[in-house]
Amino acid sequence: MENAELLQLAIAGLKNGSIYALLALGFTIVYAATNVINFAQGEFFMLGGMFAVFAFKTLGLPLIAAVPLAVVAVTGVGVLFEVLAIRPRRDGDQMSLVIITVGGSLVLSSLARHLFGSDALPLPEFTPGPSLAFAGAAIERQTLWIWGLVLIAVVALTMLYSRTRLGRAMRACMQNREAARLMGIDTGRVVMISFALAAMLGALAGVAVTPLTSTRFDIGAGIAVKGFAAAILGGLGNPIAAVAGGLLLGLIEQAVIPFSSTLKDVVAIVVLLSVLFVRPQGLFIRERKEKT
Amino acid sequence: MRRTTWTALVAILVMAIVGTSLVGCTDTGDTTETRESAQQEEPKAPYVIGAVLSLTGAQASLGVPEKNVIEMEVDRINEAGGINGHPLEVIIEDDASNVDQAVAATTKLIEQDDVLAIIGSTGTGQTMAMRTQIDAADIPQVSLAGSLVITGEFDPLVFQTPWSNALVVASTLQHLQSEGFTRIGLITEDTGFGKDGKALVNESAAGYGMTVVSDQVFKPTDTDMTGQLTVIKGAGADVVLMWSSVAASSIVPKNMAQLGMEAPLVGSHGIARLEFVESAGEAAEGTTIFAGKILAPEAYGVGSEGHTVATDYIARYTETYGEAPDSTFAGHAYDGLYLVVEAMKRLDEGFTSADLRDEIEKTDGFQGIGGVFTFSETDHNGMTEDDLVGYRVAGGTWTLLK
Repeated sequence: MENAELLQLAIAGLKNGSIYALLALGFTIVYAATNVINFAQGEFFMLGGMFAVFAFKTLGLPLIAAVPLAVVAVTGVGVLFEVLAIRPRRDGDQMSLVIITVGGSLVLSSLARHLFGSDALPLPEFTPGPSLAFAGAAIERQTLWIWGLVLIAVVALTMLYSRTRLGRAMRACMQNREAARLMGIDTGRVVMISFALAAMLGALAGVAVTPLTSTRFDIGAGIAVKGFAAAILGGLGNPIAAVAGGLLLGLIEQAVIPFSSTLKDVVAIVVLLSVLFVRPQGLFIRERKEKT
Repeated sequence: MRRTTWTALVAILVMAIVGTSLVGCTDTGDTTETRESAQQEEPKAPYVIGAVLSLTGAQASLGVPEKNVIEMEVDRINEAGGINGHPLEVIIEDDASNVDQAVAATTKLIEQDDVLAIIGSTGTGQTMAMRTQIDAADIPQVSLAGSLVITGEFDPLVFQTPWSNALVVASTLQHLQSEGFTRIGLITEDTGFGKDGKALVNESAAGYGMTVVSDQVFKPTDTDMTGQLTVIKGAGADVVLMWSSVAASSIVPKNMAQLGMEAPLVGSHGIARLEFVESAGEAAEGTTIFAGKILAPEAYGVGSEGHTVATDYIARYTETYGEAPDSTFAGHAYDGLYLVVEAMKRLDEGFTSADLRDEIEKTDGFQGIGGVFTFSETDHNGMTEDDLVGYRVAGGTWTLLK
């Protein structure tokens, strides 16, 4: 195997990994605020692409307006989802909340099928043009957009968590929700904002990747599994760990392909399971004392 | 109190959405209506057959046009007085591109609806999974999926309307040989159809003086194939051969363009639809496939019976649905339905499923959309390589390969 090929595989791994990372961030943010895995995360990804195609093709907006509009609209869907589906059962047990998110994901994907049809829908690249050559490997322009967006998302999230009052409130909820509430933090608001952020990140990943893959009403579940695996691999509850988990998962998948592309997903799952056995808290999280 | 109201509201919303989606999927409402109106004019009991189609999931873009055509032709048959005076009723079930649901739908059609025959499924995996029930109930099945296994693993009850992979692989490899290609980079989808094509290409490539230098697989849910294609490129393939039918197939030409690959892309009849071209955009240009003549009806020979059947079908489809059929798949459903209907017409009153199977097997020279069908005791696909032509994407559409 030549170096250029290895580099090409690494680029593909980092590209897919960045998408997994954005989804993993969504999982982790909601988990931090609610201790619940949000299985509707993949639908935010799907809706991002769908809304962008709708705004671009049907409404005829330029791409530069359609893309942010789609992200904003999906963020709205995230808030609506929290208010309509999660909030009424907020104090219920975690299991019923998880089931609600599963139901929500089914509702969102069938709605999308009714509104946008069952065909794959394409979107043009943000900046069309031939791939850039880099040491014998090719990098698509869209990949640079994906990397850029992930970088901005991570920096913005880090700033939010470390520099703002809201970020501090979110971190407090992450550590202990009851204690945070007793200290006067509006945990309900934190939960809502967490869903909004998760939806926004999902939509961002969705619009960024649609030019490469097209979008369809039923792609949410498949990508959610990858994002979830990435979040578990890195460690649930920590944004940096989620990003690291996503990139690692992408790289592992590509590393398997030269040996057998049939086993790509199998190996990724085996790695995930081994991690769960050896380090149940995830690869990139220091062991934490259990809450009592 | 307030919480209960919310919960109730959400519950109603969910029920409304699930409710509409179910109606949209099965469309039993429509078929019952057709049956009632037909019954008023016609006292004879309807002939009931079932159809298992992939209306949702990965193969939805194949299954939906199939459903359209069946509904359109059933209306036409009933308006013309039905089959020997009996109205025709087709009960359509969705298998969600999923093997388990196909089995469940088959059980329902057999146990509850007592159908005479079953058309479908859209996909190979579902078709094969239905076989146990088909055999147990001893009713004929006309599959709309394109793998060799369906009629290759021969079952006297099972017929098949698309050109099986055996025909298409042979035509495709012949073409590659004549163009001077020797090193195939094979990429196939991880489904029944993809595995069938993969096995056939690997078996027969040497016979055409070619070697498979790299053999890659992708999942229908995959969103990126640059890894697989990088390995193919590294192996020095002079042509990329893709055996796939799912929507993800359109990512392959895009990834090839991104990697700057010079080897041309050759596909299977699984991508013989406009969705592939539209979804892959510029990158699809130059993609070659072998499929039936319906994408360019002049290929049947202007004035021939095939040409008349095809142009008439396209005109009626366009009138009913406001757009021309954009794939070969709707045509497979047309053929499946009429193979059963024509056999029914030839039979006397009170025939059984076993009689129907025997009569379908006697089909001789039926001019359908896919080609000319002549079944025998050993051939339940019934077409020849003459029914296939080459296409290449040029100017955003499929054009005949000269």
